[in-house]
Amino acid sequence: MSRLSLYIFVIISLTACMKWEYGLEEEFDTSASGEGLFICNEGNFQYGNATLSYYDPVTKEVQNEVFYRSNAMKLGDVCQSMIIRDGIGWVVVNNSHVVFAIDINTFKEVGRITNLTSPRYIHFISDDKAYITQIWDNRIFIVNPKRYEITGYINIPNMTMESGSTEQMVQYGKYVYVNCWSYQNRILKIDTETDKVVDELVVGIQPTSLVMDCNNKLWTVTDGGYEGSPYGHEAPSLYRIDAETFTIEKQFRFSFGDWPSEVQLNGTKDKIYWLNDDVWEMDVTADMVPVRPFLPYDNTLYYGLTVCPRTGDVYIADAIDYVQQGMVYRYSKDKELLDSFYVGIIPGAFCWK
Amino acid sequence: MKRLILILLTFAPLIAIAQDDTRNWATRGIRVGEVAVYGNRPMKEIAITETKLDTIALKENIALSMADVLTFNTSIFVKNYGRATLSTVSFRGTSPSHTQVSWNGMKINSPMLGMTDFSMIPSFFVDDASLLHGTSSVNETGGGLGGAVKLATKPADNRGFGLQYIQGVGSFKTFDEFLRLTYGNDHWQVSTRAVYSSSPNDYKYRNHDKKENVYDEDMNIADQYYPVERNRSGAYKDLHILQEVYYNTGKGDRIGLNAWYINSNRELAMLTVDHGDDTDFDNRQREQTFRGVVSWDHLRDGWKIGAKAGYIYTWMAYDYKRDVGNGIMAVMTRSRSRINTIYGQADGEYSIGNKWLFTANVSLHQHIVVSEDKNIVRQDGNKAIVGYRKGRPEVSASVSAKWRPTESIGVSLVVREEMFGKEWTPIIPALFVDGVVSRAGNIVAKASISRNYRFPTLNDLYFLPGGNPDLRSESGWTYDAGLSFAVGREGLYSLSGSATWFESYISDWIIWLPTPKGFFSPDNIKDVHAYGIETKADLDITLAKDWHLGIDGTFSWTPSVNIGEPRTPADKSVGKQLPYVPELSSSVTGLVTWRKWSFLYKWCYYSVRYTMSSNDISLSGKLPPYFMSNISLERVISLRWADISLKGTVNNLFNEEYLSVLSRPMPGINFEVFVGITPKFKTR
Repeated sequence: MSRLSLYIFVIISLTACMKWEYGLEEEFDTSASGEGLFICNEGNFQYGNATLSYYDPVTKEVQNEVFYRSNAMKLGDVCQSMIIRDGIGWVVVNNSHVVFAIDINTFKEVGRITNLTSPRYIHFISDDKAYITQIWDNRIFIVNPKRYEITGYINIPNMTMESGSTEQMVQYGKYVYVNCWSYQNRILKIDTETDKVVDELVVGIQPTSLVMDCNNKLWTVTDGGYEGSPYGHEAPSLYRIDAETFTIEKQFRFSFGDWPSEVQLNGTKDKIYWLNDDVWEMDVTADMVPVRPFLPYDNTLYYGLTVCPRTGDVYIADAIDYVQQGMVYRYSKDKELLDSFYVGIIPGAFCWK
Repeated sequence: MKRLILILLTFAPLIAIAQDDTRNWATRGIRVGEVAVYGNRPMKEIAITETKLDTIALKENIALSMADVLTFNTSIFVKNYGRATLSTVSFRGTSPSHTQVSWNGMKINSPMLGMTDFSMIPSFFVDDASLLHGTSSVNETGGGLGGAVKLATKPADNRGFGLQYIQGVGSFKTFDEFLRLTYGNDHWQVSTRAVYSSSPNDYKYRNHDKKENVYDEDMNIADQYYPVERNRSGAYKDLHILQEVYYNTGKGDRIGLNAWYINSNRELAMLTVDHGDDTDFDNRQREQTFRGVVSWDHLRDGWKIGAKAGYIYTWMAYDYKRDVGNGIMAVMTRSRSRINTIYGQADGEYSIGNKWLFTANVSLHQHIVVSEDKNIVRQDGNKAIVGYRKGRPEVSASVSAKWRPTESIGVSLVVREEMFGKEWTPIIPALFVDGVVSRAGNIVAKASISRNYRFPTLNDLYFLPGGNPDLRSESGWTYDAGLSFAVGREGLYSLSGSATWFESYISDWIIWLPTPKGFFSPDNIKDVHAYGIETKADLDITLAKDWHLGIDGTFSWTPSVNIGEPRTPADKSVGKQLPYVPELSSSVTGLVTWRKWSFLYKWCYYSVRYTMSSNDISLSGKLPPYFMSNISLERVISLRWADISLKGTVNNLFNEEYLSVLSRPMPGINFEVFVGITPKFKTR
């Protein structure tokens, strides 16, 4: 019998195997809390480990992987951005070619738009029409969010598929403005009635962000390209653009080699913030960039930035080494550290509830 | 004969098989040989920690790549992105570029990436394969912070004409073909080998990572389910041709020519979390590579010199396209790279009696790389290509002295120096000592220590965007110590085994990280302490008349820990295991033969692989341990005019649903049958 037992032990040990697991659906209900902050954690490109985190600024509680936990499936590969419209969160997952629609209180999926090329941002024109910008595509996709369908395209003039890049969108009247980033230098003006590009404005090399302040001024910051780029390498700049006339009003030049990014607004849209090693803050009417930063560089590389529209608290994402849970630091507008919490891998974008 | 005592029982049966490797297992069988003796141990192997892969492993079936062979026959962790897809290795807890790989003496690591894709090396093209662990790699090359893999071909040692043809037909419409033509006489050995493998590779799997939605008329989700999907966009067609010509003067001079051509066309399979329509996307990698080596060896009593010259040309294309309507596939990414490498090597050995052996070696690899990563339109409207063109000479030279003052003690000192571009490494020293602890059981103790350096790859330095020309070389200290034994009785059984403790400290580990500009860039980030124990054991038994059993096993415990400074106060990675490096790995193969039948069982195990540097076990980012079992059964029919072999294999025997890498599903149970024919030509 002892020999038989040995055989059985060997067979069991040779065959035992852990499974590729299914998730378990958890129930959430955050409707009682008025405030909430979603954090889009990109995850590592090609590894499909993007996640969504949710933070309650009042209770200071954070819930990680809420999409997975609520839906028992993965969010996907590279969570790029998120917006909220009428209680529905639209989560853009770049390398999964999908935009998920989720209930912002339960995090349950309510639908999805699929087969996009490489989606970056979504902007609503109306309840049944939205634009989705892309990278590696020279078209902006027009979708019907009610039916989760692609209904058309906006072809971008003078842009090839391979170097195609359209990014963030803001709307002024019937026009949507879009910054073109990767190997581009333009802000586009799109007529939402005809879905056509009607004008464009050349700025510096690779404008990375686009917001519009309380005075209907567009703000974008360029990264200036990189050393050795055949597209050029220059000192980056922050631009203030009048939305009405679509002309550059002001250019704030940075030093050559600086890497500014992530232009954001406060709730009243009278201050802009951006990252350039440090965290910077400036009045939208200022004529000069401040001498000192809002928050000085603290031995880390900040990756994401947002400002609470209600309290003015500043949230900064630290991706650390990009292969572990990132940290989000919350500062008051008086620069006091109020909280810090771990989220997912490479926290890159935020969305306020 | 009193002084002849020990060892190498382990390899005796393997050597017996290797000398006759054109035959299948059933014909070859397992031979339990005599115990080789300590005094016969080659001076060049003093205190070397080496794993030799036998013919049984290499020639098991024509569908196998070296990635499969390493998975089931060594303790190396093979990071497998899918079937017939990129497969890299982690040797002693290091990164893929820390394993140096040579083919007939010529380094075949990509000078752009530093690593080697073992899925692109058919095991039927390799006659001799061995792993040099840690310090032992310094005997062959520098830069092997984890170790080195030596691959080589050798003369078939046939007389007259020979032919072998094997065809395999398997699951997922997989077809594998192998043809070998040989001719040999007293002086010439000529061989032509070809392997062609193709498959749509569209295996089914239950996707646990995503759900499909069922909508009602109002577009509300009425139901959700985990879909059974096929591996999408994973087809491959690989052709390999190997031409060998050897000439032996019979007076101590040997000349060899080896030429290997690869033509590969592989789709890159979609992730489990991809919601794109696979018919709208084409994601494909193509490669054409030629590798050629000419060698000359001049052997005389007490000394030997040799020279080699070689050339590698690699053309690689990556295309990512999508249908923009009407079936027009528009190019999203078009990357091309061309690598030309010229290789030269000279080496010599000189022995003084039985106590001293001196060796010297110098090799040159001149790489010329053209990398074209992206086509863009410049601000002035003209087209431009993002990429780089660089050349770099790499020189490696070593001298060694090996001394065996008594039969039971050996000492070896190797000093190596390397140059990459205009940069020279400091002296790379390695010291090896071994000795007989007990003649009973043939127990040998060994220890070694070495310094080592690895230069940044060309992509590390020059890739656009992100290349960092200010990178420093990675450097490390490695210590090894171990014991081995061998016992047995000729014709009855043989048992051998070894256990090795190793410890490595690697500084300035290069890691590619994202930047706020949206691209990745490498930097000297980490300091790593890799250590652990490697064990292996081999047992061959004659069970009864015509019944033989052979079992080989490996087990490794390889913590590989980040010991650098925290990058930020929130950094939790210090003191943690590196991501995608299992702490535990093991493999077992068991072969039973009876007359013309043989049955092989292969099993491997990898412990959990963390996907985060902080070793957090998150819901969406963990890779559970997995065990894998494959079996095969072969029958040989010997006819007057030919040997016919019939073989059936079952992979993933227990139909496990598993992942080797996040979001990359592996196939469930699958089958392949092989029919081989080896005509018996009359020889004079």
